[in-house]
Amino acid sequence: MKTKITMAALLMAGTMFVASGAMAKTLVYCSEGSPENFTPAMNTTGTSLDAARPVFDKLVEFTPGTTQTQPGLSEKTDVSADGLTLTFHLRKGVKFHSGVNGFTPTRDFNADDVLWSFARQSDKTNPWNKVSGGSFDYFSDMGMPDLIDSLTKSDDMTVVMKLKQPNAPILANLAMDFASIQSAEYADFLMKKGTPEQFDQIPVGTGPFSFVDYQKDAVIRFKANPDWFGGKPKVDDLVFAITPDASARYAKLQAGECQVMIAPNPADLPAMMKDDKVNLIQQAGLNIGYLAMNSQKPPFDKPEVRMAIAMAIDRGAILKEVYQGAGQQAKNPIPPTMWSYDKDAKDIPYDPAAAKTALEKAGVKDLQTDLWWMPVQRPYNPNAKRMAEMMQADLEKVGIHAKLVSYEWGEYRKRLQAGEYQMGLLGWTGDNGDPDNFLAVLLGCGKDGKPNGQNIPKWCDAKFQEDVNKAVTLTDQAERTKLYVDAQKIVDAKVPWLNIAHSTVFEPISKKVSGYKASPLGAHEFQNVDVAE
Amino acid sequence: MFRLLIKRLALTIPTFVALMFVTFMMLRLVPGDPIEARRGERGITPERHAQMLHDMGLDQPVWKQFADYVYGILHGDFGTSIVSKSPVIHEFFTLFPATVELTFCAMLFAIAIGIPTGVYAAVRRGKFFDQSMMVTALAGYSMPIFWWGLILILFMSNTLHLTPVSGRVDLIKHFYPQPTGFLLVDSILSGQKGAFTDVLRHLILPTIVLGTVPLGAIARMTRSSMLEVLDEDYVRTAKAKGLSPFRTINVHALRNALIPVVTSIGLQMGSLLAGAFLTETIFSWPGIGHWLVQSIGRRDYPVLQGGIMLVAIVVMLLNVVLDLTSGLINPRLRHER
Repeated sequence: MKTKITMAALLMAGTMFVASGAMAKTLVYCSEGSPENFTPAMNTTGTSLDAARPVFDKLVEFTPGTTQTQPGLSEKTDVSADGLTLTFHLRKGVKFHSGVNGFTPTRDFNADDVLWSFARQSDKTNPWNKVSGGSFDYFSDMGMPDLIDSLTKSDDMTVVMKLKQPNAPILANLAMDFASIQSAEYADFLMKKGTPEQFDQIPVGTGPFSFVDYQKDAVIRFKANPDWFGGKPKVDDLVFAITPDASARYAKLQAGECQVMIAPNPADLPAMMKDDKVNLIQQAGLNIGYLAMNSQKPPFDKPEVRMAIAMAIDRGAILKEVYQGAGQQAKNPIPPTMWSYDKDAKDIPYDPAAAKTALEKAGVKDLQTDLWWMPVQRPYNPNAKRMAEMMQADLEKVGIHAKLVSYEWGEYRKRLQAGEYQMGLLGWTGDNGDPDNFLAVLLGCGKDGKPNGQNIPKWCDAKFQEDVNKAVTLTDQAERTKLYVDAQKIVDAKVPWLNIAHSTVFEPISKKVSGYKASPLGAHEFQNVDVAE
Repeated sequence: MFRLLIKRLALTIPTFVALMFVTFMMLRLVPGDPIEARRGERGITPERHAQMLHDMGLDQPVWKQFADYVYGILHGDFGTSIVSKSPVIHEFFTLFPATVELTFCAMLFAIAIGIPTGVYAAVRRGKFFDQSMMVTALAGYSMPIFWWGLILILFMSNTLHLTPVSGRVDLIKHFYPQPTGFLLVDSILSGQKGAFTDVLRHLILPTIVLGTVPLGAIARMTRSSMLEVLDEDYVRTAKAKGLSPFRTINVHALRNALIPVVTSIGLQMGSLLAGAFLTETIFSWPGIGHWLVQSIGRRDYPVLQGGIMLVAIVVMLLNVVLDLTSGLINPRLRHER
């Protein structure tokens, strides 16, 4: 949507941008795509979330480079002993950006903005719920409608959230982008102006950078917010150069046209490692790639058959050929960077002879099966087709004849979820750094004993469910860890899926950049970044 | 001439109708839908999926969706993007100037080099220049755009530092309003020192890349056409009358040789727009090509339907203009019954 910024305003912004650019520091980030809009609550793609993030703050934030939470717009958060009430003591004196789209705030950030931001997502009768399409996927996906009983203010700087049941990951959820706090006053301003649709296209927040301009499919410009509560960012101007081609992004990095880039070509990684102008940050991805086995279809309903199949597959070779070293073999369903990871777990060995024996013992001979592979590259699986071919060859050696199957990505996901497969590749990237986001979401079952929607192996285990159900209600991390370790042991023993690998995420940055921290959640944040001249 | 114009315009109507139908049906035949495309691993419950399809009007019978689509187009409504919620026509005209600027420069490049090259190759038939130029033209015509683009970036930008890597403008040094969307114009209007030169520098590589294929085609077509014309009696007569070679070739021969070349240029327009899709991706050029490619992955049906129709309208109108140009060059075409 072409933003209707007057020529004069744009010229002024441009003059300030360029005039400041003559003496000011600019950081250019080569992003891979265009945002859908600038309201984090309405987006699920990394591209859109990255584009909106500089403008906003949340009640709690992830400490840069980690999945730990720290105070954000809530200076202090009290959690009641029963875990059902959270009281947010809001930070005083936080200012919304002024001068964006003709809006000048008349007050500082307060509880009304928090209530507005959540009401827009939760209340279907809210006049803003349907503006710009009304799809708040993450709010629903993280179970917020079933979790939040009420959200009220006890005074202008105190917000009280009551939960329907205790939920330990709630603070991590509130650090996610969908929980960004937007300006209720700006919303009123636009509603009165008759241009509510601009709310999601010309954002106003309290964040480290204020929005300047978006030229569709070309460039997004921000300028540093000198009043940000975390201190003025070290760079004066932040530019997102939208560069869809990965090779072009690297070329720009080499030429100094951008200083940070996303998603390098795997083929460029060796050159980047040797490039003396580039610092190639490597981060273990908060992800898991797996081969699911449909527990509702014989013979995959037998744990011993699933274990035998797991032993038949040479994951070492897959790591070498498919991941090309950019990953580590997985022995647990959660990545090693996540707290409660069971480091003492014993990985399933590659042993085709033992696999064959186990299959014979289980009465499985000349098994015909399908093996589904994804048609798209994902962060946790760079080449599912090649992986499936290698697995097919391994399975053939133990007498399992696998037919490779694939569909268009959306169709693939739909059919996998519907349980139409016998064996299928998929994976997951974590949302909030909490083990519940992996274990309960991907392997959990409902009170009716039926697998959750994201439970692709369609596997239910009473003890496992008991562990994850209890862990999510506890606030003591040590206690939660014990339960999650036990849950992992159950998964490792029952093998609903074969853990394949956790991929490594690479982020090339210019050596002139300092202070940049790669986020395990895949976010790109620039408030602490500096660029040498 | 007027009759020719009416005839050509009339022919576009059935083409337009057929294209509407084919575009619509092809998109509906592709598996998946915009909701599934967004969800990725997260999946969606069947109930929520059905609700979202209903909200988008995608649960209507296909014939009803088509009827609504045709009704919209006939009333100038090309739909609203599912992703950005912006009118398709608005997005198209925001991005179209970038594509026009690039394709115009590419075609200018192809014509400015292709025609003289073809003429000279014809005049120097069989000599080294002729043979080497035709081999080069064939190579240019055959090479994949994405490969050529990346090679040029590697060589011209990263090694020799002669040109910028991609984009339309230096994002740090230049930021100004773009009222027309044609940066060659907007940069002058901005009054910023160095802005126009900066835009020209950014145009160099994408122009060369996009213009290479039509350059090869135009050069070869010009050469073939000139070879035919140079053997004509009236050309021999012009030489015998003592006219200078320059006048003989460029006034007498070239004008007649241009008839098939103009047709070829018209045909190249369609492939130029197709080539623009790739070129825009490599050079991060914010035009309609990249917009449409992005929309395929997102299953943004209104953008694909409306965008393709708008591109088709442009191509059809361009071909009408080229037919009229042919009519101007060749009087026989104006008067054919």
